[in-house]
Order: sequence, then C-alpha cells, then structure tokens
Amino acid sequence: MITTTTTPMEGAILKLPIGLRTVNRVTNRSSTSLRWRSRPLHVSASAASTSTPLVDDPKLGPGSLGHITRPDFPILHQEINGSKLVYLDNAATSQKPTAVIKALQNYYEAYNSNVHRGIHYLSAKATDEYESARQKVANFINAGATEIIFTRNATEAINLVAYSWGLSNLKPGDEIIITIAEHHSAIVPWQIVAQKTGAVLKFVNLTEDEVPDVGQLRDILSRRTKLLVMHHVSNMLASVLPMDEVISWAHDVGAKVLVDACQSVPHMVVDVKNLDTDFLVGSSHKMCGPTGVGFLYGKSEILSGMPPFLGGGEMIADVYLDHSTYAEPPSRFEAGTPAIGEAIGLGAAIDYLSEIGMQRIHDYEMELGNYLYDRLSSVSDVRIYGPAPSRTVKRAALCSFNVKDVHPTDIATFLDQQHGVAIRSGHHCAQPLHRHLGISSSARASLHFYNTKDDVDRFIEALKDTIDFFTSFK
Amino acid sequence: MHCKHSSLPFPLTISSIPTKSNPQFPTKKPIFFTSLKNSSTFLTISLTPTKPNPQFYHKNPIFFTSAQYSANGGYSNSTSRTTKTNLSSVSCLITEEPPLDERLSVVDKVQSLSLEFRSLSEPIDRVKRLLHYASRLSPLNESSRLQENQVFGCTTRVWLEVRMDNKGYMRFRVDSDSEITKGFCSCLIWVLDGAKPEEIPSVTAEDFADMNVGLPKKGRSRVNTWHNVLFSLQNRTQDCVQERKRALSLEDPKGSEVGVK
Repeated sequence: MITTTTTPMEGAILKLPIGLRTVNRVTNRSSTSLRWRSRPLHVSASAASTSTPLVDDPKLGPGSLGHITRPDFPILHQEINGSKLVYLDNAATSQKPTAVIKALQNYYEAYNSNVHRGIHYLSAKATDEYESARQKVANFINAGATEIIFTRNATEAINLVAYSWGLSNLKPGDEIIITIAEHHSAIVPWQIVAQKTGAVLKFVNLTEDEVPDVGQLRDILSRRTKLLVMHHVSNMLASVLPMDEVISWAHDVGAKVLVDACQSVPHMVVDVKNLDTDFLVGSSHKMCGPTGVGFLYGKSEILSGMPPFLGGGEMIADVYLDHSTYAEPPSRFEAGTPAIGEAIGLGAAIDYLSEIGMQRIHDYEMELGNYLYDRLSSVSDVRIYGPAPSRTVKRAALCSFNVKDVHPTDIATFLDQQHGVAIRSGHHCAQPLHRHLGISSSARASLHFYNTKDDVDRFIEALKDTIDFFTSFK
Repeated sequence: MHCKHSSLPFPLTISSIPTKSNPQFPTKKPIFFTSLKNSSTFLTISLTPTKPNPQFYHKNPIFFTSAQYSANGGYSNSTSRTTKTNLSSVSCLITEEPPLDERLSVVDKVQSLSLEFRSLSEPIDRVKRLLHYASRLSPLNESSRLQENQVFGCTTRVWLEVRMDNKGYMRFRVDSDSEITKGFCSCLIWVLDGAKPEEIPSVTAEDFADMNVGLPKKGRSRVNTWHNVLFSLQNRTQDCVQERKRALSLEDPKGSEVGVK
C-alpha cells in the first residue's frame, strides 16, 4: 500500500513499499526525460524472443507493479454478476487511486471555495492548490505553468485550438493534415473549422502493418500545410508514432502540430520540449485523475496571439458595455468557474504517477501489453488490429480485435454478464478507421499499470468460453 | 393451472399461435407469452433456476423452450418443441396449443415479456433468452439491408423495415449483425407488430427495463441500440400515418399499403 504525506512546495512524498524504492521527484522532469531519451524505448520482450517466455516473465509475477499498486484502487475489488471484476477498459477511462479520491474529498470537506477572486482563507487555499495542480501538470510534461490551460477534457482542448487558433489563422486553401486513425475529437472540430475558413483536410492512410503511414505524411507536407493533428498513441491500433520526427518535418514546412496525447501521457514519459510540439492535449480521467478536467499545452508565443475561445468571467481584464479586454494566458482561455476540485485531483494523480515513475509504468505496461497480445493472438478466430509488436515496433498496452462471426457487442456483453470482464465494444470514436479496415466495430481490451497477468489470463479464458458459447449457439 | 412461484401476478400460458403472423418468424407456430384466458393449458415457470457456474456457460442450465442441453456439456439449438420435460432445466414449456379468441394488446404483450424476463434472475439467462429469440428471427434479404433502413446512432448495425398494411396495422421487420441486439429487436417487434399506429408511441424504453443485460437503463446512448430502434420505429410509424393520411386525402379508393423506408 502506498501512503502519502505532503509538503507544500515539493508535492506528495510517498512512503513506498520495498518494491518501489526509487522515487522520482516531480520537480526534476528534465533529468528524468534525459534518462528516458538515453535509453530508446523498445519492446523488451516479444513473442519471437528467445528470452524468458512472457508467461514466465518474473516482471509479471507476484510483486509486479500491478500487484503492488492494485490495493490503492478500491473500485477494482468488487464482484460483477458474481465474478471478480476484471477491468480492461482503461483506454476509455482509468480508475482512481485512494490518494486522488481523498484529495477530491479533502477539497470539498476542508477548503472548497472559488478561485482567483476571494480574499478569504478558503479562497486563497483553493487558489493555491489549483495553481499548484497546474504547476504539476506543467512539470509532468516539462512545460511552463502559463502554458497549461485547464479545460473540461481533451476534446474541449482541441476545440479551443480549432476555434481560437484555427479560425483566426486558417485561410482558403490552407491544408490541415490528419490521419484516418484519429479520434473523432481530433477530426470533427477541424471539419467544422475547415468549412468555416475554406481550409482543406488531407488524410494520412495506414501502411500494410496498420500504422499511420508517416512516409505518406512526409510526402504530403507542403508549404500549404498549416497544421498537423496527430495522435501520439492510437486508441485502437495501439501504434506509437515517432512524434519528434513528425513534428520536425512539419516545422520544416512552417506547419504547426497538435499532438493528441490522451493515450500517451498516462502511460509513458512525454516531454513537450523534446517533442517541440506546438500544442498538446490530455485528459485527466485517462491518467488516474477525475473526470471533468483536461488540459491544453500551447507554446507561450502561440497562446499569447490567440483570441479567447469562451467569453465570461475570469478570462477578462476589463469589461465595458461595448467591448472588453482580455487576460493573459492561461486565464484568457479559462472562462467561468473551473473544475477546481477536479484539477486538484488531477494534481494528486500526477503526484501518484510520478512517485511510481512513468518509465517504470511504461516498462511494466509494455511487458503486460505484449503478454496480452501474445495470449490473444493464440486464440482461434481472433483478429487483432494494428502492428505486431517486435523489437523495433512499439505497441501500446491495448488490443482491438474481432472474433470471426461473433459481433464484438455480443462478446463484450457475454464477458460482462458471465465473467465480470469489462472491455469495450464499438467504434471507439474512430469510425473512419473502422471503415478503412472494413469493419463496423471491434472489441478492445486496454490495460493500465494496476492490471496484472492474472487479469489477462482471466480475460483470455473468459474470451475462449465466450467464443465457445456463441460457436455452439450458432 | 398454476405457476410454481407465488409472486407471479397472473397465471401464464404459452401460446404457439401468434396474434398476427409475421413472415420473419421461421416456424408456423412461434412461441409467445400470452395472458391467460383459458384454463385448458398450463405453464410452469421455474423462477429459481439452477445457480450457474460463473466460469463456464455449459455448466448452466439453458432456459429455452426449444433448446436441448446436453448432459455432456455444451449447447445445441434444436427447433423441436419440448413437451413435458424435466422442469428443473426449462423455464417455459408448451403443453398444448390454446385456442386464441382475442387479440392481445400491446400492453398485455409488454407485461408478458417483462414477466418472462423478470423470471430469469441471472443476467446470463436473460442473454441466453435473447439469443434464443434472435435465433427465431429470419434475416432480412440483402435488398432490405439498405442504409436508408439502418437505425443510426447504434454501436451495432440494425436494419428496420416499417410499413402499414391494408387494414392500417403496423408491420415491422428487423435484422442486426449482433445476435443479442437481434434478440431485443425480436421481442420488440413481437410486441409491436400488428399493432395500431396509435399504440406504438405508448411503449417506452422503460417498459423493457426488465430485459436489461447490463446496458444503462436511463438516457439514450449508442450502446442502447434497441432504445434507438424503438425510437426509430415510433418515428417511422408516425411517418407512415402521415403518408396514409396524405394518400387518403387524395381519396385513393384502394387504400393502398404504405411503407416507409
């Protein structure tokens, strides 16, 4: 069990069990990122490896990161329809550790008050904690605090860029490049903006290995390209893109880049300075934080030149009857009362993740993700989408798949009702991608660091039983 | 006849003669619940099904009238009707075909359906019942699987045909690529097929809450496909009614069938 004490300036200091002796302090992101960069990410084990078979990998056995952290997540310890819950829908939303739940509860119990406006003790404390959370987000991705804008979620963050930056910077004929594997939130706002401005959307297809074709991307980048919108990690294909290279190519032609980091920030070290991205969005609820808050990172010089997105309180400097002047970023883009407790909860989530260490989380999830892939690919009549993992091909810890002649919704329903296994079925907000793959929907099992090898094993056995059932039924 | 469980509100019988024939149901005598009007048939419902093994389905008794559970484990779908059998493994049973002397209302059918699914205490048994009803639905032709027939806003694909017959009753046909969804839809059109147009809006999603198999009960969403099917069915019924009124206002003496795609 990880327990927490807090010092005001340095964030949470966790008393870790013996298995987690290394403490990564929140304040020193640059050295952490350098350490990450000096050890290129690669799949440390694969099905083709002659090293320890994944099924026997000690990193996945008792004492694994999943086993150690699992007690911190109360929601995982329940039964669903008579079976122990196996939660494998983390790409949709992650579960919250006790530390985050307590942070939220403590806010509402001890110092709930509106921020940035009151002069009493409660308001001052709420403001300090809210801004401390902003600093934590900034530190987490190696940004400046004024470059972090709190939004309702990543979708709102992308819409902010679309309506604020997009409407004032895009002209007829300008090109916006998007991949066909993007989440709807990274496609629809740009369709709307393109319609309003006359800009043109161009889409990058997939390679035969079912990853976005960065070669094609490089070919279609031109001086007409004004923006590139891309995911870092695909929520369906599990592909991981070489964003630093892609961003470099985009900048060479004068284009800006918006990175959808919803599936990367919760699972790996992400350093916006190293990436040199212009915008980056993330969701709190996918990184063990509360729902209702997300964030936009934008380079200071870009944010300074952007008009407001929403108008109202907090984002103004002065208001007259016939006009208003606006605050500097980030306040300019945070109209109205924010999700204060939720932002503070996000800060607590970042503390929790940081104390484990994002590199450690990533390494463990890579092992477990490969184990999931290996076990799932050994099940008959299962087709997994996205690239196969190897020493050179990175794959996130999720698998979207279909079972021959059985609808994914039927699979997911039976897994839930009979086995207490929670997976996702549908199009995962990636309809163009599904259409390209020739399918209407798919099932998806997605992991996080609190999942264990046992979870994967139970899922696979439940899936086999499910397939047997529907096969017999037909 | 009596039901074994004292909490049942009324005795039930299973009629093998539907109120109106629907070409989608493959057998000439599909199985439906009706409210009891005659005492010449009896039904026994076991409301205490054998506790299923949570791990493996084939250790669970299967609550289908036309299912054959193999003692060796495993499930086979037989279309043969069972007569009086070991009731510990069957929850619905046909013993006779009752004479049917009146048309069931939509309300009666909804109540019957709710009762049937409420009798299945384990969620997995509701899944299996839905799959059974799905198996009884013949697929739509490819010519009917058009985009204009597709119910939008669903995670599964559903095709719905809606038409009004010569006598002004509503007729429905449905198909889906998901067996569970097909099961829901099968029940839905059993309730509503042959109903008067004014009966169609009277049914709400909440009326089918007892059929729930893990789906959210409140609010419309993509996962509640059959909610979307119900809404689509109701909207398109309204379209049929409007179309019919327009046709009648032209004083078409034949009163031709009106279908809305």
